[in-house]
Formats: sequence, C-alpha cells, structure tokens
Amino acid sequence: MDTAVPDEVLARARLGDEAAREVIYRTLAPATFTFIRRVVGQRALAEDIFQDTMMALYERLPQFRGEAPLGAWLRQIALNRCLMYLRSPWQRARMRLEASELATGCAPNMLAVPGYRGDSIDLERALAALAPTARAVVWMFEVEGYSHEEIARAFGRSVSFSKSQLARAHVRLRAWFEPQEIRQSCTLI
Amino acid sequence: MHPDLEPRGALGRQLRALPGEAQPPYDFHEFQRRAAAQMEAAHASRKGHLLATTATIAVLTVVLLLRFGVATSPWIASGALTAPVVAPPAGTATAQPEVMERWLAGFPQDPALVRVGTRAAVTGLEDRIAQLDDLLSAARLERTQRARLDALQQERTRLLGALVQVRYAETLADAAQ
Repeated sequence: MDTAVPDEVLARARLGDEAAREVIYRTLAPATFTFIRRVVGQRALAEDIFQDTMMALYERLPQFRGEAPLGAWLRQIALNRCLMYLRSPWQRARMRLEASELATGCAPNMLAVPGYRGDSIDLERALAALAPTARAVVWMFEVEGYSHEEIARAFGRSVSFSKSQLARAHVRLRAWFEPQEIRQSCTLI
Repeated sequence: MHPDLEPRGALGRQLRALPGEAQPPYDFHEFQRRAAAQMEAAHASRKGHLLATTATIAVLTVVLLLRFGVATSPWIASGALTAPVVAPPAGTATAQPEVMERWLAGFPQDPALVRVGTRAAVTGLEDRIAQLDDLLSAARLERTQRARLDALQQERTRLLGALVQVRYAETLADAAQ
C-alpha cells in the first residue's frame, strides 16, 4: 500500500490543488479500499468507510508531517474507521444477534448453498466467513503486525479478548480447509 | 488451496499475498460528488437541529409560562420569544382576534411529529378559549357590565396569542424534522 506519492504532488494537494488530490486518490484508493474490504467484509459497508476515510485524509492533509509514508498514514485512518464501526453499540448488538447464525457454520453475510464442495474454498472465502471482529483481529495480528496488547487497546477490551478471538478464528479457518463431504458450504451474497 | 495456518507467519504471508482491488470502487469525481452530498447533508442536519432546538426552547418556555400561570405574558408584549429564522405572527400583541384566528387556520391541522407536551399545551389552550367563549356568550346574554366583557375579551385575546405562538413553534419544529 505504500505506493509513493511525490513530495511535489503532496505539497500541491495540501494547498487544495484538485489535480494533485486526484493523483493521490488514484495512487492510494485501490489499496485502501482493499484493506477496508478485508477488515469489514461487506462491500457496501466498505464503500461507506472508504468514503469517510478518503474525506478524512483530505481534511487532515495539512496536518500530515511526512514522518511516515502517506499510504501508511492513510492505512491508520482506515483502520481507525473500521474499528469505530466494529466498536459501535449497533454493530456489537448485531453481532450478538448473529452469533446463533454463526453456529451453523455460515457467516452472517454468507448464503448457504447445498452441494458446494469444500475443497474449492480458498483463503479469501474462509476469511470472509469469519465474524467481523474476528476477521479484524486476524488481519491486525497477522498482516499489520499488531501485538495482542495493541489490539486490546484498539478495541477497548482485554488482552485475553484478542487472544481468544485469534485462537477461535484459527480454529474456524482450519475447519474451512479440512475435507468435509457433507457440510453445507456458504457463498458470498 | 490448503494453507498451513501454523505457525503465525504463514497465515500472515498468505493473507498479504491475496490479490487486491485493481480499482477503487468509484473514481475521483464520484468521490467528490459523494463528499459534497455528505457535507451538504451534514450542514442541513446541523441547521435542522438548530431550528428544532430553537423551536423546542420556545415551546417549552411558552408551556412553562402557561403552566405556572403568569398573569400577563411578557413575551407577547416584548416579542422576546419569537423564533429567529422565520418571522413570527406579525404583531401578535396588538393583532385583532380575527387576524389571529386566520393565522391559526393557516397552520397545518396535524403535525407529522406530535410532541405530547406541545399537544397538551395546544389542547389546554383551546379548552380554555372554548370556556371563555361560553363565558362571553353567557355574559352577553345576561347583559353583564362592559368592564367584565372587556376583561373576558382581553383574556381570550391573550390565550389566542399564546395558542398562535405554540402552534407556530410546533410547525417550525415539525418543518425542522
């Protein structure tokens, strides 16, 4: 995601130059959207968070001091927006409501399709089948390199929350890749 | 694809290797259009909240004035509680009852959003005006003293003015929603 943005473009964008802002958008938007999509799962929701993230980027651009690459800075904004969503009381209530659905082996945004063969399920599909919080914890720990302490702080929860979410996610991911002839599989809707 | 999920680094590598989106969900111009729409909506929402707050304060003040039985309505005389955005009923203090009746008739019959407190104030005022109308009719039939008739008429005008203000504030709050 650390696609370099030339300093000259950055300087013009800070001053509000629309062309420079468009260059930044074209450079960083695809990776930012991919990142948000991986964390929150649903495309429509990812679009909303992406829009907020990019708006926040342009609003805060004058405060960007260049101590880290712009892409990393934007990634941090995006992650914070995703966490804001995941921590919201509405989302937490929704996740509790959907906990029973998870017991069936299908994620809330998945649709049961009888006869789907387990051996064709790839990692992306397995990741999408995780609950949003578990997916975010997996992504933060495995890809972003956050420690359990940092994840716990980000979610406002305990370290054991982070560890148990990760352990359960690993179990679920492993289960996806085990050969299962009878299991009803799920596909994204 | 059967990735080895242990040890920790293996899954991370596989996740990082997942193919990303080649394009953002929409282009920069669409982003700008959505951003402008969002800012406009946020601005309208702030404006609506301001209007609703102003109207609610006005309604509450009127309700309190009526509830605690202020002998005269200072706001009618001074116009201090008139809402800042839309001009209030012109010259409520000095308006003729017929003018105020016409103004009242111009308000929507039933607001889309009914607040119990406001509704109670409106119906309370309407009841008291109806009682005064009865008293006025009886007084005219009994040929009561002119001073007594004038006092009743003044009280009716005062209540009518209060009703106009409450209905006006109610309509404002409704529109703000």
